[in-house]
Amino acid sequence: MTKQDFRIVGKSVKRADVIEKVTGEGKYTGDYHMPGMLYGKIKRAEIAHAKITRIDVSRALAYPGVKAVLTHRDVPRVLHYGSPHPRSASCTKDQYILDDRVRFWGEGVAAVAAISEEVADEALDLIDVEHEPLPGVYDIDTAQAPDAPQLHDVGPGGNLVIPPVRIERGDVERGFAEADLILEGEFEGGRPVPTYMEPNVCVADWDGSNKLTFWTSTQTSFMVRGALAEVLGLPLNKVRVLVDHMGGGFGAKQDLFQHEFLCALLAKQCRRPVKMEFTRRETFIAGRSRHPFRMWLKQGFRKDGTLVARDMKIIFESGAYGSHSPGVTNVGTASATSLYRCENVRLDGRAVYTNTPISGAYRGYGVVQTYYALDIQMDEAAERLGIDPVEMRLKNAVREGDIAPSGHPIVGCGLEACISHGADAFDWAGKRNNPNRSDPRNPAIRKGWGIGCEMHGSSAYPGIKEQGNATVKMNEDGSVTLLTGAAGLGTGAHTALAQIVAEELGVTFESVSVVHGDTDVVPWDIGAFASHTTYLVGSAAKIAAAELRERVLARAAELLQESAENLGLVDGIITVRGNPGQSITLVEAMGPTRGVPSEHLIASGSYTPTKSYSFAAHFVEVAVDTETGIIECRKVMPVHDVGKVIHPIAAQGQIEGGIQQGIGHTLTEDYVIDRTNGRSLNAGLVDYKMPLSMDMPDIETIILEAAPDPGGPWGAKGVGEDPIIAIGPAICNAVHDAIGVRFHHYPITPEDVLKGLKARREQP
Amino acid sequence: MTKRVLEMTVNGEERSLAVASYRSLLDVLREEGGLTGTKKGCDVGDCGACTVIMDGKPVNACLVLAVEAQGAEITTVEGLQSSPDDLHPLQEAMMEHGASQCGFCTPGILIMAKCLLDRNPHPTDEEIRFGLSGNICRCTGYTKIFDAIRTAGKRMAAASTGDGTKAPDFSKAEA
Repeated sequence: MTKQDFRIVGKSVKRADVIEKVTGEGKYTGDYHMPGMLYGKIKRAEIAHAKITRIDVSRALAYPGVKAVLTHRDVPRVLHYGSPHPRSASCTKDQYILDDRVRFWGEGVAAVAAISEEVADEALDLIDVEHEPLPGVYDIDTAQAPDAPQLHDVGPGGNLVIPPVRIERGDVERGFAEADLILEGEFEGGRPVPTYMEPNVCVADWDGSNKLTFWTSTQTSFMVRGALAEVLGLPLNKVRVLVDHMGGGFGAKQDLFQHEFLCALLAKQCRRPVKMEFTRRETFIAGRSRHPFRMWLKQGFRKDGTLVARDMKIIFESGAYGSHSPGVTNVGTASATSLYRCENVRLDGRAVYTNTPISGAYRGYGVVQTYYALDIQMDEAAERLGIDPVEMRLKNAVREGDIAPSGHPIVGCGLEACISHGADAFDWAGKRNNPNRSDPRNPAIRKGWGIGCEMHGSSAYPGIKEQGNATVKMNEDGSVTLLTGAAGLGTGAHTALAQIVAEELGVTFESVSVVHGDTDVVPWDIGAFASHTTYLVGSAAKIAAAELRERVLARAAELLQESAENLGLVDGIITVRGNPGQSITLVEAMGPTRGVPSEHLIASGSYTPTKSYSFAAHFVEVAVDTETGIIECRKVMPVHDVGKVIHPIAAQGQIEGGIQQGIGHTLTEDYVIDRTNGRSLNAGLVDYKMPLSMDMPDIETIILEAAPDPGGPWGAKGVGEDPIIAIGPAICNAVHDAIGVRFHHYPITPEDVLKGLKARREQP
Repeated sequence: MTKRVLEMTVNGEERSLAVASYRSLLDVLREEGGLTGTKKGCDVGDCGACTVIMDGKPVNACLVLAVEAQGAEITTVEGLQSSPDDLHPLQEAMMEHGASQCGFCTPGILIMAKCLLDRNPHPTDEEIRFGLSGNICRCTGYTKIFDAIRTAGKRMAAASTGDGTKAPDFSKAEA
């Protein structure tokens, strides 16, 4: 890649969409209010597994203000995808809009539309549901027992969502035979939920031509359009999906939710707009979580630290429906082929149905779980072999040309750079060799330092062969409009895309405006997920901008009586090479002149990549109170290689926010389901404890442009998911450094710490 | 449902709204009042997204019955800026520092930060953290929010010194 001076890319320009966020003017879906609008609510099951034997809505229908009630008898019975990515490995058809069967506690069994939220809520209590309880399975062991009750008729049976994912390379037995040290362990993780601040919400409105207009808080508006059209039996041009601002998604707003179908159907029946908004409680019960997991991992190492064999079995708990389990299982299992290079691997990944809430897509998609275990066992091996954890990782880190989880050789690999750079900047050796671990103010507090590493792909290839699209228009005054289907879930992606267009086209950042979020207008898009928007849509935008630039210069060439190759375009000024005095503005080039009318210039770009990988090493300091068991994460130094950085502050913001969620996963966050009856125990923001302003450590973010990938614009790679992965094992390893107790699970609670310390004291 | 006519001053404007007595101040501001800048993140007082200023004090609007606001003076995020072109220093600083990602918590954070700086123009880092302890942000890890409040605090303090000196230019800071 040639060195280039950038005018706009790489600068933290002011995000155009943020002014609306700080003034309160930005419209989120819940802010829309239409004349005659009704409010929808869902009646939720208070049993985890049952057959509905009778459902009587007559009292609810008679209640003043109620306009419609829907049950499974009233809605189309179409088996549909939960995760609607077309023809991908990430879908399984196992859901109905409403069924006569309940598969998890809190599943919707009926829906009401009424003149107010309060009336709709009251009507829910007037719906009488009778069940025949069915035996439930509330954990992965019970679900896999030979005589276990089955949740679904579809699928391979045995409560498996998909057939096991098996990957084998090299000769694992030979690898173990060559090993000087073999480690074997079981790892487990809880059920963190994304907890986006904006509860799921949608508004449906039908017009006289039987066209549905649908506002919804989604990362994947075209997928919502596709699934709604398929299930409702409409052509795609009769479903228009709109989303402007959205209050976060973190992956989970990729599903097509039960309430979205029901909102559309209620609006159709009532011939009035209907809004359906989740309560915070519903975002837990009916939202999507990360997959709880259990993993068995056995690895062999030579004396010098070289990894020679890896044998792994991982089971993801899918909950009541498949949702993203196929994708998570494929990605999570395949990720264990990499990070730390190993020629001999044998991997087995499964996803299992249980009568619990649905696990779905969440930032770090299967990789969080796998790398938690890999990186903790790497630390254990370093300890047993007497090798420094940083040295151990440098020895085994994947390198350029190694086969990535996607099956392709890695092109831009910055893992070693992240580890080495971070070790110096963090003063790793100085800290770890510091014999003074106690806090002088409180000797019960012990300090420790740890490292964790990660790699993550940009794009969902090979599970989904994705396409990024962009259309760029030059208006007759020289201003530019970028049309993109990529959702703006809060990351600043639209700003990055506008920067890319402005840079490539040769105009100012301020002259580019972005149109998005209307499936009738913008180019098709698969959705904002898999850390791919800047990489994939950014490349498409760059292609479109380059073509538009050619067309603009061709028009200017005629006006200037010059050849187009001889023209340059910078900051909206067209100049003639070698003749700096001769220049025209874009307004002059594009606007009408005598005898030459204005012209509408438009160019589109499409881009179908494979995948790039981003890398990171996280260094943390923890303080463990040996009297209370409380772990405090005090300092984090995340060192990331994301290729070319388009917007530094936005990239840092992704990293810092990912660390916040990762600390939560590791120490406090767990959506708890009663394993005896499937009931939800902490569906609220007080009982589900996230790290907030008082809990956040100092974060010193370092971004290295160590290893650009030519697949992204100027070598840019993804950043969204990376930061949530390495922080977990880094904390766990630091806790071990502090108190000598090794944990194999998350979240690590104060009770776990006290039990671990007690067990350690009682060791003979 | 009987409605009561409620008088309150919202962002300096006298409003007269007919509301049912069970409605929360949050619902009334957003629906009857048409001010949707204030967000509903939980409706039970846990998240702080609905923070508004009521008679000089920050409140969770979801926990206040609208009828309790009879005669009150309310400031919402829409009332922070003095004119359409003149943003509050906190709004400017939040934009510059990238302190708003999805933006759903932003109105509540802005209001809470304004209350903090109005009461304590030179907060320590610990005081900023404590001041925001009732406001959940899930996107940013708070780092950039702390930066924004520090920057806005310095500018506001400089602007109020009254010696006629221009506020220092922090616009290039941390770019």
